[in-house]
Amino acid sequence: QTKITGKVSDKASGNALPGVTVSVKGSNRGTATDPSGVFTLQAKSGEILVFSFVGYDPQEVVVGSGPVNVSLTEKVGSLEEVVVTGYASQKKKDLTGAVSIVKVENLTRQPTSQIANQLQGQVSGVTILGSGQPGQEPQVKIRGVNTFGNNTPLYVVDGVPVSNLTDVNPNDVQTMQVLKDAGAASIYGARAANGVIIITTKRGTGKVKVSYDGYYGTQRPKGGNVWNILNPQEQANLKWMAIANTTPNPTYADEQYGSGATPRLPDYIAPVGAMEGDPGTDPSTYFVNPEYKVASDVDAFHRIVKANKSGTDWFHEIFKPAPITSHNISVAGGGDIGSYFFSFYYFNQQGTLTNTYNKRYAVRANSSYNITDHIRVGENIEYSLINNPQIGALTEGSGIGMAFREMPIIPVYDIKGNYAGSFGKGLGNARNPVAIQDRFGTTKTLANRLLGNVFAEADILRHFTLRTSFGGEVYSFNNHSFTLPEYENAENNKVNSYTENAGSGYDWTWTNTLTYHQNFNQVHDLKVLIGTEAFNNNGRTVGGTSLDYFSFNPDFTNLSTGSGTPTNYSGSFTDGLFSLFARVDYSFKDRYLLGALIRRDGSSRFGSNNRYGNFPAVSAAWRISQESFMKNISWISDLKIRGGWGIMGNQINVDPLNAFTAYGFQRGNSFYDMKGTGNSIVQGFYRTRIGNPDAKWESNVNANIGIDATLFKGALEVTADYYHKVVKDLLFNVDLPAVYGIATVPYVNVAQMKNKGFDFSATSKIDITKDLKLELNGNLTTYKNEIVKISDAAPYFDMEARRFNGTFIIRNAIGQSISEFYGYKVDGFWNSQAEIDAANAKTRDQYKDNTLVYQTDTKPGRFKYADVNNDGRITEADRTYLGNPNPKFSYGLNIGLTYKGWDFTMFLYGVQGNKIWNQVKWWTDFYPSFEGAKSKTALYDSWLPTRQNAKAPIQETSPSFSTSNVPNSYFVENGSYLRAKNMMLGYTIPGHVLQRAGITKFRVYVQAANLFTITKYSGIDPEITGGTSNFGVDEGAYPNQRQYLLGVNVTF
Amino acid sequence: CKKSFLERDPIGSLSDEIVANKAGINYLLIGAYAALDGQQTAQAALGGGGPWEASPTNWIYGSVAGGDAHKGSFSGDQPGIDPIAKFTVDASNGFFNTKWRAVYEGVTRSNTVLSKLKEATDMSAAEKTQVEAEARFLRGHYYFELRKMFNKVPYISDTTLNPRIKNDKEIWPFIEADFKFATDNLPPTQSDVARANKWAAQIYLAKTYLYQKKYTEAMPLFDQAITSGVTSNGIKYKLTDAFEDNFDAAKKNNSESVFAIQMTANDGTNTIANANQGEMLNFPYNSPFGCCGFYQPTQDLVNSYRTNATTGLPDLDNYNTTPVKNDQGILSSTAFVPETGTLDPRLDWTVGRRGLPYHDWGNHPGASWIRDQAYAGPYAPKKMVYWQFNQDKYKDAHSWAPGSAINVLLIRFADVLLMSAECHAQTGDLPGATALVNQIRDRMINHPENWLHKYKDDTKPLQGFDPTKMAANYKIGRYATTFASKDFALKAIYFERKLELATEGHRFFDLVRWGIADAALNAFITYESAITTDLRGGHFTKGKNEYFPVPQRQIDLTIIGGERVLDQNPNY
Repeated sequence: QTKITGKVSDKASGNALPGVTVSVKGSNRGTATDPSGVFTLQAKSGEILVFSFVGYDPQEVVVGSGPVNVSLTEKVGSLEEVVVTGYASQKKKDLTGAVSIVKVENLTRQPTSQIANQLQGQVSGVTILGSGQPGQEPQVKIRGVNTFGNNTPLYVVDGVPVSNLTDVNPNDVQTMQVLKDAGAASIYGARAANGVIIITTKRGTGKVKVSYDGYYGTQRPKGGNVWNILNPQEQANLKWMAIANTTPNPTYADEQYGSGATPRLPDYIAPVGAMEGDPGTDPSTYFVNPEYKVASDVDAFHRIVKANKSGTDWFHEIFKPAPITSHNISVAGGGDIGSYFFSFYYFNQQGTLTNTYNKRYAVRANSSYNITDHIRVGENIEYSLINNPQIGALTEGSGIGMAFREMPIIPVYDIKGNYAGSFGKGLGNARNPVAIQDRFGTTKTLANRLLGNVFAEADILRHFTLRTSFGGEVYSFNNHSFTLPEYENAENNKVNSYTENAGSGYDWTWTNTLTYHQNFNQVHDLKVLIGTEAFNNNGRTVGGTSLDYFSFNPDFTNLSTGSGTPTNYSGSFTDGLFSLFARVDYSFKDRYLLGALIRRDGSSRFGSNNRYGNFPAVSAAWRISQESFMKNISWISDLKIRGGWGIMGNQINVDPLNAFTAYGFQRGNSFYDMKGTGNSIVQGFYRTRIGNPDAKWESNVNANIGIDATLFKGALEVTADYYHKVVKDLLFNVDLPAVYGIATVPYVNVAQMKNKGFDFSATSKIDITKDLKLELNGNLTTYKNEIVKISDAAPYFDMEARRFNGTFIIRNAIGQSISEFYGYKVDGFWNSQAEIDAANAKTRDQYKDNTLVYQTDTKPGRFKYADVNNDGRITEADRTYLGNPNPKFSYGLNIGLTYKGWDFTMFLYGVQGNKIWNQVKWWTDFYPSFEGAKSKTALYDSWLPTRQNAKAPIQETSPSFSTSNVPNSYFVENGSYLRAKNMMLGYTIPGHVLQRAGITKFRVYVQAANLFTITKYSGIDPEITGGTSNFGVDEGAYPNQRQYLLGVNVTF
Repeated sequence: CKKSFLERDPIGSLSDEIVANKAGINYLLIGAYAALDGQQTAQAALGGGGPWEASPTNWIYGSVAGGDAHKGSFSGDQPGIDPIAKFTVDASNGFFNTKWRAVYEGVTRSNTVLSKLKEATDMSAAEKTQVEAEARFLRGHYYFELRKMFNKVPYISDTTLNPRIKNDKEIWPFIEADFKFATDNLPPTQSDVARANKWAAQIYLAKTYLYQKKYTEAMPLFDQAITSGVTSNGIKYKLTDAFEDNFDAAKKNNSESVFAIQMTANDGTNTIANANQGEMLNFPYNSPFGCCGFYQPTQDLVNSYRTNATTGLPDLDNYNTTPVKNDQGILSSTAFVPETGTLDPRLDWTVGRRGLPYHDWGNHPGASWIRDQAYAGPYAPKKMVYWQFNQDKYKDAHSWAPGSAINVLLIRFADVLLMSAECHAQTGDLPGATALVNQIRDRMINHPENWLHKYKDDTKPLQGFDPTKMAANYKIGRYATTFASKDFALKAIYFERKLELATEGHRFFDLVRWGIADAALNAFITYESAITTDLRGGHFTKGKNEYFPVPQRQIDLTIIGGERVLDQNPNY
């Protein structure tokens, strides 16, 4: 051994580096450099010195004869970060596919228990639409719309594909990445087409660490007159105005409002239009039995309801401030023999809408054991319990839908505290929203899920690792509700009934992989993975309804205590997948990277004709910054160009029964009273399903090109991707013509779709001063979806008729994006009869036909529709695309500032260029669209001969083709918005203060979520969800609420 | 892994092979009958869409479009019916698509029976013939519906391989062939009353001829049925003594029931899918029925029931000159005295009007049961409305609007008599025609005890009617002399059909086949529009509105290689 000396310097600046650890590999000899970067230690020629220093790439040097001078390269950015991809992990610098890496600390700042909600706006390439309803699973789309069916990505938690993320505790997430292109995702083959979201949960390291994270807060519904509703007197005035507009110089005679030239509000709405002193309002004559059992009993009720002359604010009668609480405790630790992580989570979010809530408990235990240096076993497991009754929002029958329809003159309760409602005359047919939500309180749900896996890993023959994992889910759920009879409305459900549903199931995934990894002389690096996977999914559901209960006491009501005819159902499902896959990653000199993979899947969902599918992908990257010609461009620390091509598959849209023609029955559809009894039916069959044994995989052919750049020594990191996807053999169950009957139509591989888009993300860390640090994290997502083919016959399919009687709001058509709005384009108003006559004359002249009109149902003040096809008249052919609910782009920006113990973060999220169909206006802006609450627009901003520059058309007593009977552009609004989703100010108490109490970290924070939203949208909330091919229609959204929270993070 | 891991049998359904035998085919046949009501569970028409859009009574297409009734309710509810009533409708109106789908499901089920029948090996030739005859009867009915509504319809038979075929053939011959086969092979009585018998088939065959103006072929078939025909349960055809019995769930399958759709209430489905779901809207509003105020008879119809105080005969030409008094624009709280002139007693079993007993629900209160008088007039429907005293049995409350067990009479004996009368008049047998019309009128004339009476106590309608007090001033008489001419005979028969079969879904189709739809309906629209707002701007266009348009959706779904397969009806 000789004494070796040397000097360590920084490669970029040449400055000496003090404090660098220098050790002899395979021995316990070591030292550190002095302030001038110099070190001395004993070593012999041929031994290897290892230089390591925080923030720098480690380096190994073989001892030679002379002094060892080393220059270390500073680690820049996140290039060395380990990214978990399919069945493997890679360093970020080695990625060849398009992968978004989620910054988990930004994620968990969002106060919700839903990981998918937290993900909104955090990474590029992912579009998420949610709502304010606690526990509601949002719509997650990765890189646009990939199918007409289920567009949900594949979620993989600790290597196990799971059906949803709703019960995974967000506090347990260690890493999360989104595999976006084929180069990254095709390893999941038949389930990759919608993209893959990979989550790993936390594991322990080092000393025992106990953490507590908790917050408590309040959620505040939006204030004010959210739907711009008229007060009762204004409402009456509108009625008079509509009557006068329809029949000039009318004689008014109204049960509620009298017959004066101006309507007068009655003192009572039940008895209809009664004034104080009317004998019918004598409280002793009151009779209402809310718990009536026989339907005809209602006929004998004598209701007495005072008019609420100041107006009931129905929105705020059902939306109230509500608390939100979250507690999470975790214990983690680890060492040579293994590691453990344990957590307990309690979350309770009361909805601002009465009787909605999401209450859940979760326990997680992750552990691993090092049996020898080369063999490891372990498990990850989570058990969760959830109570989460949800309402169906965005439809007219919900409590929210009724809150903008129930007239403000109706009070919540009658004179004896029973519900008041539209029963009577002239009060419309809406139902009391408070009663709906109170009665919804009988809905109880319980869901539980055990989720996890066990695994074993062995390192063999130096370069090989063998891994096996068996995992999955076992779940069950039940829910029950009691439907109480109604009595207060114009149209009442008079039958009491009880419904209970339950289901249980399990799925398992057994994965075996063999990995080979070898580095040859720091030049060639080869990684090979082969594997097999089997997936099995089974479950059952059961439920029933009974009715006519003697008592409505929840302790009494169950399926066996009803006296009416009970109905029941049950069902089961099963499907399986078996797969083989392989992946090769090769890199040459850390400069040229190549990846290739293939997966072969077999699925039980397909007939034997097309049971198997192959999903290949190739990708490559060039780290151009490693080339010598780039070395002297100092501001570029790293630059990589990536490209990939491959095929991803989709099978979830195919019912396992798809291949079979089947017969069955339904009592309402195919049973018949052959004996003429009048009260009993006998069994009959009909064809329930047409089979297609030839259905096969949807294949999503995907090309991606991207760059990753690390600039200014890691101060700025940028990733940008452009992609192009063609979804071929898209499975679609397009309507068959009626001549085929009503049997369920099979999925056939006929349709085709295209998506292209641009994903961009950037992270910047700037130290403004020594203590003041700024971190910015922004991303931008665009996608353009185009339907290329739907079926061999129809060039479109329509959805969402709502109240338009068979003409539809949404048309999914070739050459357009999914879910586009369709109808007549409003081109101003007909301002005079002369204008109408001139238009008609022109049409008659053009067609030489005196019976023709330019547009049917015209009248001054009604909509003038645009003659889109320029044929001189308005016909169905003039319907056109009125707007696209798909945004042009969406973006997120995280801003983080730290100053000593203080931290401030803000998260802004925005969506630009999307349209919303505001169906609420159909109810509120048009007097004849059902009697009910109307808007200020209808009264004060509707067309009159003296007010031609109006927003809404003339208010009449009848709707028409030229007002609200057909979908038209009046309902389309700009849905762009920018929302401050989250703002947080925290303070971390300096460590030395707390050390004596055994506390290593104590942070308190205040937070405001959804503090403000900038939008032109006139509805309650511009975030409007829906189905895959029918979204963006607002008919009473459950709005996102402003939340104020106080929280702590403590670590022991 | 073994291959069987990926081979999983379908769960919870029956395969093609399992149903191809005697029992399976019988169940498929019952399924084909079950499609008659055009309804399924979940408050939808068979195949989707609103239940009323495919109601087997054709209350929208036959009666509202025919001027018997207004759509009713108020303007904003089901506005898609308005353009149908006003004849301003286009092919994209979803109502037609719903009806078309529901009826074609009936065709499909009938064809399924016929094709599976060929595969069955456990049935005798006689059994096969009987099943075939019933299935072909049903198929004949479904195509009859399609033909009279949509004119140009594609004909799919049990041997059609690709049903995406053209609608360029006249399908009457196929309908005739089906009814002919059914007539020749069905027994005169059946073990199940719901099944079609020989006589129903023969009458339907004659009706098919009548729609084609083949009067000489039709007449003997009608007349033989009138003299010898029996119902499926073996009762000789005869008009019931009480007109109302035809619309009473407790009196269903009586001597007048030639072919009916069996309706059930409280049948264990906990839905109203088999309980006149298509009629669920057609009850007075803000009333004990709950919903929805649709199907309000027109003033024009009501006026038709005024009779000559001396002869008891209607005024065929100028019935609108002296309208029957109504309570339009009068609040329920304001006093009102109903019409005191002479009226045909059938009026008050057909129309609910202010101040008269509405079954046993009390006197109709007028405006308070009407959703919007200015829009659709002051009247309420009556024929398909159940009674209070036995409502627990025949009403079905398992929905937001009621269902009932009243059968839908697709053909009743009175209809047969009048169809025969037409044939007699058309072929010049005026005495025969006169006798048939008088036979209809005699039912009422001979049974004044079955006319509507006042309650014993207006405040206690369930105590029943006072047999000594008529509800109104009724007068009905016979045609005392033989019809003077063929023209007069036809006019009288047409009017008698209007009175007898009002609101039963026939009127529009009758007007069209008589070739007088444009004159009659335009006069009606003009008259009625002076009273209500709903029909204003309506106009029947000759050469176009005789048929409803082929649904645009069906045209779009049948495109092959970019080419339209289905043709639209003229001028749509």
